[in-house]
Amino acid sequence: MVARNKWTLGLRTLVMISTLLIPTLNSKAQEQAQKSPAEVKIDNFSFGPKTLTVSVGTEVTWINRDDIPHNIVSTDGVFESKVRDTNETFSYKFVNPGTYPYYCSLHPKMTGKIVVH
Amino acid sequence: MNESNDPISRNFEDLNQDGIDRRGFLKCMAWAGTGLVWTISGGVPVSRALGKRANDHETSRSGDLSFVQISDSHMGFNKAANPDVAATLQAAVDRINALPERPDFLLHTGDISHLSRPEQFDTVDQILKSAGPKDVFFVPGEHDMLEDNGKTYLDRYGKATKGAGWYSFDSRGVHFIGLVNVMNLKAGGLGSLGQEQLEWIEEDVKNLRSSTPIIVFAHIPLWNVYPEWGWGTDDSGQALGYLKRFGSVTVLNGHIHQTMQKVEGSVTFHTAMSTAFPQPQPGKADSPGPMKVPGEQLKTMLGITDVNYVQRRHSLAVVDSTLG
Repeated sequence: MVARNKWTLGLRTLVMISTLLIPTLNSKAQEQAQKSPAEVKIDNFSFGPKTLTVSVGTEVTWINRDDIPHNIVSTDGVFESKVRDTNETFSYKFVNPGTYPYYCSLHPKMTGKIVVH
Repeated sequence: MNESNDPISRNFEDLNQDGIDRRGFLKCMAWAGTGLVWTISGGVPVSRALGKRANDHETSRSGDLSFVQISDSHMGFNKAANPDVAATLQAAVDRINALPERPDFLLHTGDISHLSRPEQFDTVDQILKSAGPKDVFFVPGEHDMLEDNGKTYLDRYGKATKGAGWYSFDSRGVHFIGLVNVMNLKAGGLGSLGQEQLEWIEEDVKNLRSSTPIIVFAHIPLWNVYPEWGWGTDDSGQALGYLKRFGSVTVLNGHIHQTMQKVEGSVTFHTAMSTAFPQPQPGKADSPGPMKVPGEQLKTMLGITDVNYVQRRHSLAVVDSTLG
């Protein structure tokens, strides 16, 4: 047990050091991610940008600029909006890194994805 | 089966003598939507100008079937393309009531409402009450099934239906099949019927004679009108496969808010205008969204479809007429 605790402690220290280092190492990538607006516009039956890259913890907002209602449905069942009519929005906070493909289940040719770092 | 023994095939030969040939038919297709009367049978269509009465034997109503298709009333839509969709639906009903012969019933091919709200369905039901024909057969569009797996629609219109609202019925010797292709759509895909419904179709037509005329109606086109805009149905080929042996199959759809026709063997495909707002021709705009046209032009792009089935000749006349 003692040995394991020591190991855990060592691991924790490593994680702490990495956490301190990551902002410096990944600062460029993060800057890029933060520069992109955390908003997806629905216009002309398409999601724009089609791929949006954000950092962990970002809340992404979709806004429907079409005269026709749409919805935002995660292909893997992670999130699903109610139907959004003109100028209505939907927001979802991404707390885990990964790639999240989604589509409009009314007009399934409309697809997009959120990449979370 | 041996086609030459089929009574319908013999009828087609008769039609050939006074009909127009396929080349003539293709020429007619270019005029679609401008008011031609279609008499279509097994790919051998006869056309005449709208308003011109056909020969007496063609219009005799005894034992013949007549119905009107309306589509895409989008009750609740209030944007620039048409701020008053209730008025244009009423105009469509007035048009139906002014037909020289009262139709047996109405078919509504979906997008009754814009947002599946009870008050939107109420308004449509109220307006349709003023239509001569009291029987209305519905199939849902994607706008009618927006929340709760279509519960609001199914509670109202789906009582005698199966699955997500599909059903069949017979009228004056014609077998009607109402299908649902707006549910459980997959990312990147088109309209979808799904395995359960496909199995039901196979079973539904199993015991019908091949000479039975079939009319299939569904919201999204059951042929690939323009897949880039989602105007097609992924598994429609399988459904139509079950109907291959039938001498006369007519497929009526909505969804694309404009008329379009195609004949493939014994299958005739037809899409109806909307009663609410027009949509652009395939690929002629950035998206299939509502098309804003000058006010005076709107009614020339909305309309109804009048279908007549003449029993003795086993032929269907499909007439599109605009509201203005």
